Amino acid sequence: MSAFILSGLVIGSIYAISALGLVLTYTSSRVLNFAHGALAYFAAVFYYWLNNQQGWSIPAAAIVTILVMCPALGLFLWAILFRRLTHAPSEVRFVSTVGLWVALPALTKILFPFSKTETFDAQGLVKSPPDIFNVLGINVNENQAAVLISAVVVVVTLTIVLRATPIGLTTRATVDSPRTARISGINTSAITAGSWMAGTALAGFAGVLLTPILGLSEIQFTFLLVVSLAAAVIGRLTSLPLTFAGAMAIGLIQGISVDFLPDEGVLARGFRPSLPFVAMLIALLAYQGLRRERFEVDLRSGPAEERAPVPERWRGWRAAIGPLTLCIILLSVPLWLDDFWVGVVSQGIALAILYLTFTLVIGEGGMLSLCQITLAGIGAFSAARLAAESGVPVGVALLAGAAIAVPIGLVVALISLRLGDIYLALATLAFALLVENLVFARSDFENFGAGVALARPVFLGIDFNDRTNFYLLLVAVFLLSALLIATLRRATSGMVFAALRSSETASATTGIGVIRTKLILFAASSFIAGLGGGLLAMTIGRATTTTFNLLVGVVWIAIVVTWGVRSVVGALLAGIIFAVIPQQLSLILVLIAVMIVAGLIVRLIITKSIRTPIGAISGVMLLIGGIFIVRWLLDIEVSESWVDVPTMLFGLGAIGLAREPQGLVADTINRFRLRRIRTEARLLNTQSQVGT
Amino acid sequence: MRNPLLSAESITVRFGGVVALDKVSLAVDEGSFVGLVGPNGAGKTTMFGVLSGLIRPNSGKVAIDGAVVTRSTPQRRANLGVSRTFQRLELFGELTVREHLVLAYRVRQRRDRSFFRDLVGLGNRPSPGEDVVVDELLRLLTLRDVANRPAVLLPLGTGRLVEVGRALAGSPRVVLLDEPTSGLGSDETERLAATLQSIRAEHNVAFVLVEHDVDLVLSLADTITVLDFGQIIAQGTPEDIRASREVQEAYLGVITEPN
Repeated sequence: MSAFILSGLVIGSIYAISALGLVLTYTSSRVLNFAHGALAYFAAVFYYWLNNQQGWSIPAAAIVTILVMCPALGLFLWAILFRRLTHAPSEVRFVSTVGLWVALPALTKILFPFSKTETFDAQGLVKSPPDIFNVLGINVNENQAAVLISAVVVVVTLTIVLRATPIGLTTRATVDSPRTARISGINTSAITAGSWMAGTALAGFAGVLLTPILGLSEIQFTFLLVVSLAAAVIGRLTSLPLTFAGAMAIGLIQGISVDFLPDEGVLARGFRPSLPFVAMLIALLAYQGLRRERFEVDLRSGPAEERAPVPERWRGWRAAIGPLTLCIILLSVPLWLDDFWVGVVSQGIALAILYLTFTLVIGEGGMLSLCQITLAGIGAFSAARLAAESGVPVGVALLAGAAIAVPIGLVVALISLRLGDIYLALATLAFALLVENLVFARSDFENFGAGVALARPVFLGIDFNDRTNFYLLLVAVFLLSALLIATLRRATSGMVFAALRSSETASATTGIGVIRTKLILFAASSFIAGLGGGLLAMTIGRATTTTFNLLVGVVWIAIVVTWGVRSVVGALLAGIIFAVIPQQLSLILVLIAVMIVAGLIVRLIITKSIRTPIGAISGVMLLIGGIFIVRWLLDIEVSESWVDVPTMLFGLGAIGLAREPQGLVADTINRFRLRRIRTEARLLNTQSQVGT
Repeated sequence: MRNPLLSAESITVRFGGVVALDKVSLAVDEGSFVGLVGPNGAGKTTMFGVLSGLIRPNSGKVAIDGAVVTRSTPQRRANLGVSRTFQRLELFGELTVREHLVLAYRVRQRRDRSFFRDLVGLGNRPSPGEDVVVDELLRLLTLRDVANRPAVLLPLGTGRLVEVGRALAGSPRVVLLDEPTSGLGSDETERLAATLQSIRAEHNVAFVLVEHDVDLVLSLADTITVLDFGQIIAQGTPEDIRASREVQEAYLGVITEPN
């Protein structure tokens, strides 16, 4: 028993170190860092590289990783990203850190190729294998002792710094009221930057300590993130002592449970992953009762962001040009592509249908849901098992699967939405992890990686096993869904969504049912997720757990955001590109290279710096360089090492384009329009001044 | 005796250790014009939060037509006819000025507005009367020139007028105005005051006005409540308030002999 308590304390200490870092950064900047686990992963890989591969001694590697590299990384990320997020709308804050969560592990794999395969021989802060010694009749190994001492050091240091030094005083002042602190002459930027450095260092510390216990794999660090978030929810995202207690409690329960749980079966496998969700659930329900103010006081101050307005829609026959072109292109695909590519594009369209779920929930609703892929998986598995085991016709099973996803999605939204969008993001993440480990990991779902087969339907005398027929079915479903979303957006509902995204407070006092509207949106998006999931499984031929993996879902969000999270065309492009990547990586790389070069040149033109000699020269250089890069990319043999490049770039794309819901293309167009509008506004102001 | 349209009884709100409101009562009758004045931090905006349902008081009750709504949501109160403007603009950035008014009108008029009707394209037809109401309000508030401009591109003063327009477009019974004239020029302030009075006369709408411009409040309101540090220090007609020593103390910090 005491051995289990000890291991619980050890793992709890690691969770606590990570969770403290998370809460520290959140309280100082109001940015909840979903990349916290990715930061820990990066640090752990970096430490492993220094220690195991470069032969550095443990102290040297630890100091360089935790006290030099991590703070530097934190400072860098703060300077280029987090600093600008504090005053951004909530969905921008979410999506940006999700983009980082996608980009950072991909970058890690590019920089340190060994991290692609799981490693178990990592050392912590003591040499491996650790010596065992006896304290009060309990066998403690050195590694465990090192973790416990680390936790004590972190807590003591944090307490002393925050409670007994001038830095702590100014930090607490900044957290309480950034504006007042700034007025009283506190350098709030330095405080925030410092907390990001410390927070990243704590993430890295936790990463280094975790590796010898659980191995170096990305999924373990996702779990670390989710536990840290659960502990943070227990601490109501603000209280460091409560967060610490929450993390320790989760660790202890996890440790002790090993003693009671059976060795095999659902409970043995599912208990640990379900812990953070259960902890979060209890905390969420408890805090709902405590809340007095109906709405989170929004700390957004400062001027509203300048954005080009949505252009006036074309009326009459012109309004049909875009949609008609889209239909013609999509429907004609089987005429100019061979069977193989029709299959690839089919998969892209199925993904695009699925991605419309993000168009609704993130684009229209401004909510970040991280469990859409799980809902898609639920839809797919429900459809497949209904068809396989109960003999339900495939078409009916597909719709039934989508319908099953709705109440499940609604329950997750219901328990978290009342507390605010941020809790929705947290609850959906914990839920996704729960389902993945408790349900999808069961052998009747997972089936040794083969999943559950899902046949294509035959109805109205049409056999959809034919590639072209099935392709046309997918296109029809996509166009119909896109049409419904476009109709919804143009109707009063569209205005209601826009109102909610701008100001929930004013929406409520205008009489809009905030929670009701969001729940309706979430239900609709769950249905689309379930339907898209089923269709994707049908395209592949089977529903497998690897298709609906949480980390894949995060990449999906990044790629959709890059191409336009509020645009159905964006969803389509994202779907097709995601389907093409595994088939023709070099094509995607060439495309990306062309777009980067074109984007840079467009930027030069917009800022008019192309008219200066230096701008003109750099424009020409970019063009020539771009052509060479493209030619080189066309020639190179695309090897394994390039696989993660698109993922990283889409992560970066999500970070850069979080503010532009229409995506990459619209962003470029808007920059032109914004400039024109600014000029007009300036003219208008001068005129009105002359007038009075 | 008839119940007042909107009433608050001995409202207390504490933020941590600070008492923002201390047993404050307020009654607004149908068609009346109530002024709420006081120095910064007196609790005026907190009172609006309590009345509109954004802040739940620690004690006390809020009632509409005598029915207690202390625990009702802001949207329920809005549907019962309570609307408000915000001192720190809370506009819907992506919507045009006209859309702000249209949305407020539709939310109030069509409570059966259903998601599924919008989904099949039936939801975006203007209901009869909508254009009349919206265009009239745009004219009264001199917003016609900017009607199709998105709210993010508006200057501060115009934004305040849009706030007022949105609050009025839902045919409310009582409108809480939180410093609607700050950022407006004196001409615009006069025009807004005239507009409020004509709307009050025509539609029997009651107003509660929080304002730093005391002269404006004195000229518009029937009854005035003066708050200081969360407590009512004076309540009465504009004449009473002009004569009150406490008010002069709170505002000027010195005691002057009233002549």
